[in-house]
Amino acid sequence: MSQDTPMDTPTDAAPRVDPKLLELLVCPLTKGPLVYDAAAQELVSRQAKLAYPIRGGIPIMLPEEARPLTD
Amino acid sequence: MAVQYDLEGQKRVYERWAPIYDKVYNKLLSDAHRRTALGAAAAGPDILEVGVGTGLVLRYYPAHCRVVGVDLSEHMLRKAQEKAAGMRQVVGLASMDACRLGFPDGRFDAVAVPFVITLVPDPEGALDECVRVLRPGGEIVISSKLSGDAGPVARVEEAVAPLMKRVGWSSAFKISRVEAWARRRGDIDVLEVAPLFPAGFFKLMRLKKRT
Repeated sequence: MSQDTPMDTPTDAAPRVDPKLLELLVCPLTKGPLVYDAAAQELVSRQAKLAYPIRGGIPIMLPEEARPLTD
Repeated sequence: MAVQYDLEGQKRVYERWAPIYDKVYNKLLSDAHRRTALGAAAAGPDILEVGVGTGLVLRYYPAHCRVVGVDLSEHMLRKAQEKAAGMRQVVGLASMDACRLGFPDGRFDAVAVPFVITLVPDPEGALDECVRVLRPGGEIVISSKLSGDAGPVARVEEAVAPLMKRVGWSSAFKISRVEAWARRRGDIDVLEVAPLFPAGFFKLMRLKKRT
């Protein structure tokens, strides 16, 4: 787990995801690392080219719910 | 891989039933929930619960544990999140497919699988994923309606059948199916198959990953 934005970036009053949970997560498809985008509330798998959303403090690690990355 | 099944259909069913699910389910299963949690905790503090649902099992894990709960249904997880607020033993919740877990190999001491194995379209695939994320020597604790017996058990079964059918676990899951899977893998020992209240209608199965 790596991050490109600080964990403590304030957003709204919604429940925040526990950093200890983020440290555990890998991409469910590639089992590769994820990058936490705190501003977008997304977990980015560069290998799978997918951004998994975090909604209300709950990471949604389902490929069909993820945003495909175009680069 | 890429087993295609009706994820959307399953999600819709859970959505509709989430509000009343707890009320019926809670009374029926609290003993089974407690023993599943304590069984997992006996293998170590780092625990993954697959099929955490509305979080009915979470309260039974000892405070020193570090539990992560996953479920396919985001709606169920919202309810679990409310329950888990303030529980020291719960690290977090995530929505995942049991056959595609987003955790590294060997990360957990135990994987608890309470009342979900009969719901998963590919139980062996889900169990394979459970083994992957388990450390060598770690344990899988499955509680479920395992194998249908005759006698008093059949009567209880009849009484709860309408609910069971609605939530999708109308068919008994055979212990022999899990045992066959374990034999094929060759790295899993079946430690125990124990009956749970009421009257052995539910069973608890403990599997150990060889070191």
